Amino acid sequence: MSVAEPKRASLVNFRNVAISALVVTALLQLLGGMGLFNQYYLHILAIIGMNIILVVSLNLVNGYLGEFALGHAGFMAVGAYTAALIAMNLQLPTALRLPLSLAGGVAAAGLIGYLVGLVTFKTVGDYLAITTLGFNMIIVNAIQNIDYLGGPRGLTGIPKGTDLITVAACVVLTYWILRNLVHSGYGRMWLSIRENAIASGLIGVNVNRVKNVAFTVAAAFAGLAGGLWAQYQQFITPRSFDYLKTTEILVMLYLGGMGSLSGSILGVVFYTVTMELLRNVLGMISPQLADLRMLLSPLILVVIMLTRQYGLMGNREWRWLQPKREESPVGTGA
Amino acid sequence: MLDTVIQQLLNAAQLGAVYALIALGYTMVYGTIRLINFAHGDIFMLGGYIGFLLVTAVSGMPLVVMMPLAMLLTALVGMLIERVAYRRLRNAQRMSLVITALGVGIFLENLVRLLVGPQARQLPAQLPNGVVELFNGVVVTEDKILIIFISLALMVILWLFVHRTLMGTAMRAVADNKDAVQLMGINLNMVIAVTFAIGSALAAAGGIFFGQAYSIDPYMGIDLGWKAFIAAVIGGIGSIEGAVLGSFLLAGVEVLTVAYLSSNMKNGIAFGLLILLLLLRPNGIMGRPELKKV
Repeated sequence: MSVAEPKRASLVNFRNVAISALVVTALLQLLGGMGLFNQYYLHILAIIGMNIILVVSLNLVNGYLGEFALGHAGFMAVGAYTAALIAMNLQLPTALRLPLSLAGGVAAAGLIGYLVGLVTFKTVGDYLAITTLGFNMIIVNAIQNIDYLGGPRGLTGIPKGTDLITVAACVVLTYWILRNLVHSGYGRMWLSIRENAIASGLIGVNVNRVKNVAFTVAAAFAGLAGGLWAQYQQFITPRSFDYLKTTEILVMLYLGGMGSLSGSILGVVFYTVTMELLRNVLGMISPQLADLRMLLSPLILVVIMLTRQYGLMGNREWRWLQPKREESPVGTGA
Repeated sequence: MLDTVIQQLLNAAQLGAVYALIALGYTMVYGTIRLINFAHGDIFMLGGYIGFLLVTAVSGMPLVVMMPLAMLLTALVGMLIERVAYRRLRNAQRMSLVITALGVGIFLENLVRLLVGPQARQLPAQLPNGVVELFNGVVVTEDKILIIFISLALMVILWLFVHRTLMGTAMRAVADNKDAVQLMGINLNMVIAVTFAIGSALAAAGGIFFGQAYSIDPYMGIDLGWKAFIAAVIGGIGSIEGAVLGSFLLAGVEVLTVAYLSSNMKNGIAFGLLILLLLLRPNGIMGRPELKKV
């Protein structure tokens, strides 16, 4: 009878996972630099990391708030262009360039997100989806028409600032902030709006304001991903932030499961790795077959939706990434 | 001066007719199963390609044979998609359905790209393209007039079908209340299948006209599909008259933007108009506000 015996805290908790993830990526980066680890794998890891930031932040709006926003790539574009301009034009010391440009990207994307949210949340449901998509198109279209931003040709010659360690640090930071937000008292308001907006309003939740906070935070983190992306790729074009990018983010989100942060990680890893595997395996059999990937990826998506309509994780979480349980847990959360 | 204005109006009418043919499918599907059918733009593209393949396979196939045949084939594809991909998710949470539609759309785009190639193609001109003199010196080409008139005729036929036949009544009933309709002995699956068939057939007609007037490529459904969807929303999604009205309005704004501002600003203006309109009239011009019981 070990009823009274207190349960030993597991070593697999968020802090330890985060630290080991950072150490492992630092090691891989080092090995890659010495030529002992395939650069291609490092590249895949960096892409996965940036996609995790995008998907986890969109999850805040589409999963936890329960709205259907379709414009995430637009905010990524704002972050990417702002960060690129700061990195290229301000004569900053190298050590400050990356943090300041990223901060600029986050701030600009957050600001635009806030302004867009003011307008967008006057609508709900499908109309909200269309309005956010509209803003995505308008942002991309505006960039295409501004010569200073390179117009349709985009910006080239952005200094390389992002490496795998930066990405990993940003992923850990993003995940930590969003996880704590979602489990905070404030985060409960998002969940309550998702379950019933009218009832939430009746118990004193300022629905539009709380919604807009979620939207602003999500946009700001999309800006972070954009800033990282700009300084990783070293060139950006408006086309890479259009509707197709938004769709890709959505697909990874719904693949993993809405309202599950760990599901978002799983979705991104599953999607990215599957795509790369398909490219390599099919390419090995025959170069023509590699094109079949374009058919298989949407098919996989449809099949997953038909068989597991709540995504891979549903709204469950990996316990070891969750905050510590309180004495009396408030509801079941997500 | 007058000549340019009339030419621009006709250009707008031609583009608006194509938008309307696509928008009708969006609006009808949304009316019956409340789904934004993201794959609909790609069905429009597919219709254009089916027409193209028919003409290339049997050279000299006249338009009067090719167009109904292509519309029929595309209607079958639309019904197939509904049967295979959408029906199982009809009562699931709506986002799974939307994501499935997105997946189907990307699948169609890439399928056509792999089978026919990514390059843009032109349907062989099959409409008479002589010129007609309207009045002193103002001339228009016959194909433009024909495209506008055939499209309008199709819309009138659709309106008559929806308002004057038993099946059309059933479709309106489904749009009104899906649950009560089943208690009245109406075969819901049948009605929805017919809705998809009609929507796809109209989109195919739009695709063929678009291929005649401009050109077709595997990804045209994204851009055109979104535009038509905006048109449907502007008009009030779920309303047939609204979709037609919204299409001509959007086409007018676009043609004016290209003519007097810049062609690069076309999309920005279109979406700006959409957002403005949604803020002023959240249910579109002709849409009925959705009543929600608390």
